[in-house]
Amino acid sequence: MRILKLLFSLLLTGAVVWLLQTTHKIGDSSLPPLGAFFNPFSGFWKNAEPAKGFLFHNAKLKGLSGSVEVVYDDMLVPHIFAENMADAVRVQGYVTAQHRLWQMDISTRKSAGRLSEILGERTLQIDRMARRRGMVFAAENAVLSWSKSAEGMRLLQAYTEGVNAYVEGLSAAEYPIEFKLLNYKPEPWSVLKTALLVEAMAETLAAGENDLASTNALALFGRDTFNYLYPEWNPKQQAIVPDTGQWRDWQVTLPPVAAPEPSGLLSGISEGAKFKFSLDERTDPYDDYIVGSNNWAVAGSNTASGHPLLCNDPHLNLTLPSIWFQLQIHTPEQNCYGVSLQGLPGMIIGFNEEVAWGVTNVGHDVSDWYKIAWVDNERTQYKLDAETREVQKRVETIKIKGKEPFLDTVRYTVWGPVVYDYEPTHPLRDCALRWLTHDQPSRDEMNTFLFLNAGKNYDDYRRALAAYDCPAQNFVFATRSGDIAITVQGRFPVRAPQQGRFVQDGSRWSNAWLDYIPTERVPAMKNPARGFVYSANQHSTPPTYPYYYLSNDFDDYRGRRIFDRLSSMRAATLDSMKTMQLDNFSQRAADALPVMLRMLDRSKLGAEGLKMADELAAWNYRYDANATAPPLYEVWFDSCYLRTWDEITSLRAEKKQVLMPERWRFIELLEKDPNSIFFDHLTTPQRETAHDIVHQSFALMQQYFKENPDKRTGWGAFRGFAIKHLALIDAFSRLDVVVGGHSSAPNAIKQGNGPSWRMIVELGERVRGLGVYPGGQSGNPGSRYYDNMVDTWAKGEYNNLLFLKSADEPSSQILGRQVFLP
Amino acid sequence: MRHFIYSVLFIFALGHLCHFGLPWWGLVPVAMLAGWLFPLSAGKNFSAAFLAGALLWFVNAYLYNAENDGMLATKVGLLFQGLNAWQLLGLTGVLGGVLAGFGAMTGRYARDVFVSNRA
Repeated sequence: MRILKLLFSLLLTGAVVWLLQTTHKIGDSSLPPLGAFFNPFSGFWKNAEPAKGFLFHNAKLKGLSGSVEVVYDDMLVPHIFAENMADAVRVQGYVTAQHRLWQMDISTRKSAGRLSEILGERTLQIDRMARRRGMVFAAENAVLSWSKSAEGMRLLQAYTEGVNAYVEGLSAAEYPIEFKLLNYKPEPWSVLKTALLVEAMAETLAAGENDLASTNALALFGRDTFNYLYPEWNPKQQAIVPDTGQWRDWQVTLPPVAAPEPSGLLSGISEGAKFKFSLDERTDPYDDYIVGSNNWAVAGSNTASGHPLLCNDPHLNLTLPSIWFQLQIHTPEQNCYGVSLQGLPGMIIGFNEEVAWGVTNVGHDVSDWYKIAWVDNERTQYKLDAETREVQKRVETIKIKGKEPFLDTVRYTVWGPVVYDYEPTHPLRDCALRWLTHDQPSRDEMNTFLFLNAGKNYDDYRRALAAYDCPAQNFVFATRSGDIAITVQGRFPVRAPQQGRFVQDGSRWSNAWLDYIPTERVPAMKNPARGFVYSANQHSTPPTYPYYYLSNDFDDYRGRRIFDRLSSMRAATLDSMKTMQLDNFSQRAADALPVMLRMLDRSKLGAEGLKMADELAAWNYRYDANATAPPLYEVWFDSCYLRTWDEITSLRAEKKQVLMPERWRFIELLEKDPNSIFFDHLTTPQRETAHDIVHQSFALMQQYFKENPDKRTGWGAFRGFAIKHLALIDAFSRLDVVVGGHSSAPNAIKQGNGPSWRMIVELGERVRGLGVYPGGQSGNPGSRYYDNMVDTWAKGEYNNLLFLKSADEPSSQILGRQVFLP
Repeated sequence: MRHFIYSVLFIFALGHLCHFGLPWWGLVPVAMLAGWLFPLSAGKNFSAAFLAGALLWFVNAYLYNAENDGMLATKVGLLFQGLNAWQLLGLTGVLGGVLAGFGAMTGRYARDVFVSNRA
């Protein structure tokens, strides 16, 4: 009997322990192991950092050549003081991991196609797509190339070892809370992971293309109409680098590519196809915004102080933790401040005592689809000119939590991977992806940012950039000695006109990228007479530039506004730079709304309609958070736009990809060609003109606000805005931020995306930097530094960046010190 | 009554070894030992251990939470149906109590089996 009691009790106790250390599924979500998660010795309570005081301990760090001192300021920014760069980046790796370890893990896991390892089968398709697009293949190629640069590799390895020293010293109790919630362990960093991070950036910034949608549009409309609907150059826009005759005498040989011969068969679209139109007149804003950023530099001649000013605000997905981590690195050779990416040594955007630089995305299309001419049904051989080639098979092993691994065979052709061949009905099923990101980059690519960090003058800047390939960036630059410059830097294929706009014939090598634009010929500009340089993701050059390039998104509205303001600024100050970055003025609304209002026949509007029209007429085109006109305009404009392109939206509703005309072209047609056939709405018997569309859309807009009276509110509340946690955990997100801004305004805030770092630098006697990002330095939701800058950012305020000259420089902003000994 | 107090103090004190390398379920063997060393009636044995385990987990969690101004607990509470910090602390205590209680029960029954003269 006693034995039975003991056995029963042992069993019960064992069961309780088992229950509390196992993950439990409740519906779609899974609970962390409760005992492991709740116990106060190693569970989440350990992540509840003291709200006051300084927490970081001195440590021994193997591989250092001397001691390194890290001074933390009151924003938890580490200022690293080291005797040499290798020591500095070793400590950078350590402190970055100390604050952002889980973020480092999850962001590289995504591009490695390894999410299912921790999240189970639900992320298998995401992992598969990362593998099939060749993300790991690209990362491996990058490492191969970087390995050829001894100096670059030495620093990458020092960084990696720094991260790993931190990871190795961690006890389970110290794991970031997300590891505890998702019940897995941190793993060592590697140079391959750094490459995966670079590929993740390339996926965000250099993967844009419209090949299929353009091919379908061409097949649907024919060449003439295609050219009418989709012109590539907006005459109202200003290019980044104007034509000053600098390329007049270049000898340029374009490839002898045959005119692309796209076929509309790709998704079953042929010219004159009968359309089925739905009456679904959605007024949801159509998502047009991809990625954008602003940067500019103003020469001393145009500033109040006489010193150059440089500004940058890269627009990226806004997440918690933030993509950026602020940092200062001081060595005998350099003293640099800026924002870094977790996993890359040095700083991506920043300044030192002599120079400042910033980046925006170039956005040239470096991602093309080629239709493969298969020889056999198994699709193992394909035609290339007169030859028959074999595909190379790469087997991707995707581990899945709680399941057998999934093996995926990806076919690689001379162009690249055949991404979609596992989907029998996918229009790109027989197409291979030619993507610049797959190529081995320049071996010194990793050094570009390190060289910029240490740069002292214009020549250093150009030398640093020469090795930079992908994702191409507009590098704006200024020196204390008075130079300003901008360079559209990247590796760009030499294309025949229109090459790469459509799916190309992959059986002819003449369609390949046979050459690249020489580095000395990429668009660049130094010290223009106008006294400023700038970029906002618009065209790099006017159409007179001898090389053809294309993009899936050359935004021009932000650029025009910035150009206008900089053109009229003669005494720029830090404050006027702030107002420019925070400018909610939309050039697009300023272009479109007067045209739309002119077309509106006021006698046909009721009392409520007249009130709305008056409110719109009085609007100053600023998307301020509390302004009530922008919601009216947004709904009206989007409705006009979608109603006009019903020919296309109806196909898109059937998941057929057809290119939408750009908004600037739509506005131009509204103004200049109001009787165009495209304004006719195909489901109505009568023939509409632009006037009718404008009226119908106005009525739809009125109806929308009648049905949704709660939406008749300020712009900030109307749109809503959240900064989500990287794993979309609402509890760790900021869902309550009310901000203005719009993708067509310099303050390019849209839902979940926007200025991820606002920086203003004045290069005077003593360099002054202002900066803020919507997040915090700590990745720990239990830290007061997790999201402490969100409100500062949302209010349009900046932090004075503490730029120390030495480790013992006194400052009231210093929080504490962490010393690393060899 | 003395054994009750000893048991509580023993579990509470030795339970802190979980701060120093003992895994989180280390509370269970500690409580087993207490159940063995301080013979009590079944009910008292369980409640002494429950009290000690709950106190151990609650007090430690409470201290972290207090130092943290409740920042993290507020967020984690949202993950668990919107529990507030006090409710989370309560839940933590109950979990610690249950673990210790079952541990002590097992220790007590083990003593019954291996030591012939019952208290």
